[in-house]
Amino acid sequence: MTRVWLPSSLEELWPLWAENPGAALYAGGTDLLVRRRAGLVRPEALICLERVAELGRIEPDGPEVFLGAAASFSRLLSSPLVTEKYPVLAAALQRIGSPQVRHMGTLGGNLVTASPAGDSLPPLYTLDAVVELVAVGATRRVPIAEFIQGPGQVDLRPGELVSGVRLPATDGNLQHFEKVGSRAALAISIASLAVAGRLSDQGEVLQIKLAWGSVGPTVVCAPAAEAALQGKKLTPETLAAAGELAQQAASPIDDLRASREYRLALVKNLLLRLAP
Amino acid sequence: MTIRFEINGEKVELEVAPDARAVDVLRRELGFTGVKEACGQGECGACTVLIDGQSRLSCLMLAAQLHGRTVLTIEGMAHGDRLHPLQESFIEHGAVQCGFCTPGMILAAESLLGREPRPDRERIRQGLSGNLCRCTGYQKIVDAVEAVVRDGGEKP
Amino acid sequence: MLQNHSMKTPEIFQARYGARAARVGSSLPRADALAKVTGREPYACDFYHPDMLWLGVKRAGVPHARLRGIDVAAARELSGVAAVLTHDDVQGSNRQGVVRKDQPVLVDDKVRHAGDAVALVLAMDPASLARALELIRLDLDPLPGVFDLDQALAPGAPLVHGDNPQGNLMLAGQVTIGQGLDALDDCAVVVQEVFRLPRQEHAYLETEAGWALWDPDGGLTITASTQTPFRDMAEVAEALGLERDQVRIKAPYPGGAFGGKDGVSVQSLLGLAALAAPGVPVKIWLDRQESFIASPKRHPARLAYRLGAGQDGTLQALHAVLHYDTGPYDHLGGVVATLGLEHSGGAYVIPHVHLETYAVYTNNPVGGAFRGFGVPQVNAAMEGMMERLAGRLGMDPAKLRQKNILRPGSLTPVGVTLDCSVGLADCLEQAAGHRLWTRRRPWKAAAGPHQRRGVGLALALHGMGYGPVVPDVANAKIELSDQGRLVVYCGVVDMGQGNASTYLQVAGHLLNQDLAHLELVLPDTARTLPSGSSSASRTTFTYGRALLAAAGELKVRLLKRAADMLMVPVEEMTLVPGAVRHLTSGRELSLKDLAGFMAGEERVAVHSFRAPVSPQRPSDDPGLTLHGLPHRIFSFGAQLCGVEVDRLTGRVRVLSLVTFCDVGNVINRQVLEQQVQGGAAQGLGYALWERMRSREGRIIENDLSTYIIPTAGDLPDMELVVVPGFEPEGPFGMKGAGELPTDLPAAAVAAAVADACGAAPNRFPITPQVVLELLHQGAARNLA
Repeated sequence: MTRVWLPSSLEELWPLWAENPGAALYAGGTDLLVRRRAGLVRPEALICLERVAELGRIEPDGPEVFLGAAASFSRLLSSPLVTEKYPVLAAALQRIGSPQVRHMGTLGGNLVTASPAGDSLPPLYTLDAVVELVAVGATRRVPIAEFIQGPGQVDLRPGELVSGVRLPATDGNLQHFEKVGSRAALAISIASLAVAGRLSDQGEVLQIKLAWGSVGPTVVCAPAAEAALQGKKLTPETLAAAGELAQQAASPIDDLRASREYRLALVKNLLLRLAP
Repeated sequence: MTIRFEINGEKVELEVAPDARAVDVLRRELGFTGVKEACGQGECGACTVLIDGQSRLSCLMLAAQLHGRTVLTIEGMAHGDRLHPLQESFIEHGAVQCGFCTPGMILAAESLLGREPRPDRERIRQGLSGNLCRCTGYQKIVDAVEAVVRDGGEKP
Repeated sequence: MLQNHSMKTPEIFQARYGARAARVGSSLPRADALAKVTGREPYACDFYHPDMLWLGVKRAGVPHARLRGIDVAAARELSGVAAVLTHDDVQGSNRQGVVRKDQPVLVDDKVRHAGDAVALVLAMDPASLARALELIRLDLDPLPGVFDLDQALAPGAPLVHGDNPQGNLMLAGQVTIGQGLDALDDCAVVVQEVFRLPRQEHAYLETEAGWALWDPDGGLTITASTQTPFRDMAEVAEALGLERDQVRIKAPYPGGAFGGKDGVSVQSLLGLAALAAPGVPVKIWLDRQESFIASPKRHPARLAYRLGAGQDGTLQALHAVLHYDTGPYDHLGGVVATLGLEHSGGAYVIPHVHLETYAVYTNNPVGGAFRGFGVPQVNAAMEGMMERLAGRLGMDPAKLRQKNILRPGSLTPVGVTLDCSVGLADCLEQAAGHRLWTRRRPWKAAAGPHQRRGVGLALALHGMGYGPVVPDVANAKIELSDQGRLVVYCGVVDMGQGNASTYLQVAGHLLNQDLAHLELVLPDTARTLPSGSSSASRTTFTYGRALLAAAGELKVRLLKRAADMLMVPVEEMTLVPGAVRHLTSGRELSLKDLAGFMAGEERVAVHSFRAPVSPQRPSDDPGLTLHGLPHRIFSFGAQLCGVEVDRLTGRVRVLSLVTFCDVGNVINRQVLEQQVQGGAAQGLGYALWERMRSREGRIIENDLSTYIIPTAGDLPDMELVVVPGFEPEGPFGMKGAGELPTDLPAAAVAAAVADACGAAPNRFPITPQVVLELLHQGAARNLA
């Protein structure tokens, strides 16, 4: 029988985990418990992080904002820190799963699962999020693009867990997110695009970050496409040109939800939505 | 392990296998068979229960996670013979067909109205989008929830 | 704290809604709604008992193989395991099936699809059950399989049933009317297309479930989620070697079925397991993935059409070749293919036709009944042909249809005279006059950036009942209880469509009762009378007629007895809620008191009704007649659909869906709306999202995260227009409405998408990727 713990603080967690190093950690359970039911993982013990106070924090920290790894998506969505400062993230969170899944799922889960279809990830890339990791007596900060190394592969050392993400202040006036899923809700991304940046009063791109989900093994960024838009207005022509550069950066696969070809078309087409 | 929680207004203490799923404990041990299961992987909403007023999927929760919580299942929605306005509205508006999604749907609606008291039809549809129904096409369910919003949804 | 499973119509419902008069024409609340909104309705899956055993199935996992042996030793030795069963434990024929008995309860010679059941485990708890199932070793000798139509029909193809004289053809049928194929040569215009329709999964929320108890003295009782308790009884008895009177099937309200529970699913397995555990209840409840693998589906189909017309748009000739992939067992595949044939020319007059239908055995999942029953496929094709013809002739699609629709007395495409009520012209007229159609140009022009809009129209008809040979019979029973209530013994399952409540409404109307004095007994082969399946748009029609007659007989008896007791002429008596009243004196005798004066048998009336069938024989082929050709009574409908297509993603949003129907007189508008909205939702799923593909006999979309059915956010508010109608054969003039709404959306959506994109789809579902291709084709056409 699998043992289960529900620590309420990191202080409680550390000794438990030390005694049960084979335990699997989870918060919402929307991924781990599905895989467990399917027999894909058979953890010898489970530690549920939903009550660990430090991991549920949502708070400003100087100019930055800290979002706790075990704060549910719905809690993030009810915080003005998220909805007002980072609408690109809020829009993505709003498209995750369903209301019930958003009451359960967490950023920490999305980060550690490191699926290319994790809907919160592309916005975090565009916002230059920094992942904060804690271990007994140690804290580490890693930019998200370095933290996620491949599908399901993250820079997480033994004894470390994700405590949250830090989002830098943003003065951007352009934030945009679009997800293409198989249906309006309860849908895994076929492709998504997150955009964050700043436009001049004339509509010229002063700065822009683009990140696509589900069109490569991890979130796909396309610096060439970003560079191509620098200083330009977002017109169908400039966007199409950038989209073609982005297609070169993407490496989508065929799966049962969509074909490679369709996903490639979306890489470009989703950008075209930015044209006013 | 021993867990203690409140369900439908009653406090319970229960010995459970630590890794038992909440849905199984609620149905098999406690007899709340109004908590349905239809996919086992969080894709249908039939097992929805309210945990501290929020809709969650009892198929993706371990029984251990119920400890210390306040749980509401469909069996706890009515007060004696007095139905909850959502229950009454579902009957009046024909929102019930085979009825298997109904408990989860009503609880999802209750959770929606708890966080957003005056949703329009579009918001109601989004709020119920985690609950699959194969009989109704959802329209009468939306009608039923909308009517409760319109009537002020006074709680019993 | 175990639930009480013997709960009857809840008292609380009586208290709340009891005073409502059960009048035909009113939107009376459903009798089952209260128990369902309070979570108290006991579904087949809701049974638990401290002593019960858990039943699980070892399935083949491979699509085609010879069974050499089953090693159950390790599973049997496991603690917590009560029994492991194989075909050796089956005492009867070990064969089941609706038409042909070709499906084993447990495989004894050959595996024919991956979901075939091979062994059973009975265990004390679910964990032991799961472990024991893993420990069973199947010794299977793999055989080459057939996984698509061409493969199955190729010369020398591996045979699914070696003893079938037609190879992998399960049913082949043809109908030729007029000059048949030759007439195409004389047509001014001929359009042709090949359509491909996907396998569709019912995705009822309650997966197959039930429990059984074998009492060696009292027999075998099986409570199951089923549409067909009486047929199940016969099948289980034969397969397991029991007498029919040893088997009792109880059918609680299923948590959805839609055709998928028409026929035995877990019933024989439960029976076999119960026989191995006398006196102990055994329970099964398939999980979603197992349900998907094991259950029958809507047949995937390939439909090749050629349609010819005169320059003025008058239809002249049709050649349709229908291929249905029926999987490895007969089930209802032959009947589905035959109904498809009958409806393949749509709702039109076509003087010359040559129609061919083929049901083809494969090692894919089993094809079976699914709301619409072969018609959604052909209707998508035939309506697609009408759109293409309208395009070719440059005619308005509504005007082209107006010219050709079936009217009273018309010959249907299979040459049968329509002598039922026919309101199709009204449906079409209403549709053509609807704002969505008349104002479609400005509506389309209002599309936002990157959006294109389109409006489509489709028609359909749907035949009711079993056709000429299989008796379409219902036996109604109604009783005045000693409590003074009128109890309707419902012999036909209510899988959610509301027929049980409608029966109360019909009986209550005739007997002038309110809900407080009406009660329902759900189907139970020991208490209710055989009344056929809950299927084929027949449920309210056939049982309703039987019930009207039974209730009428009881009414006469009650009035007479009451008159005798009050010593007044019977003509002066009338029924009022809860009593019989003497009209001139106002004296009353309560139904409860009256019941006290009547003997048990006297308080019961039964009536058997057989639905009318057509005496016409459009084909000499006895196979087609046996499988239900032709029908006599049809419902008719039209549908308008407005879509918005996103040019960047290909996403289709259905913004408007208006259904116009002739379903005779309406008994309960709310229940009709439920049927139309729900049926249309399944049709929209079929049009846009749903497909269950298989690769080498294994399904790809194998759970509810990959098999996409619409959520509340995917569907529009729908509108229903009922044209006035009255079917003289129907109870209170009604006709069946359960399937018609599902026949329409694939066709209507396809027409709307074609209107938006400038090119018409021939593959379903119409995925976003397909839409991008159509937009591309449409753009190329515009340039050219």
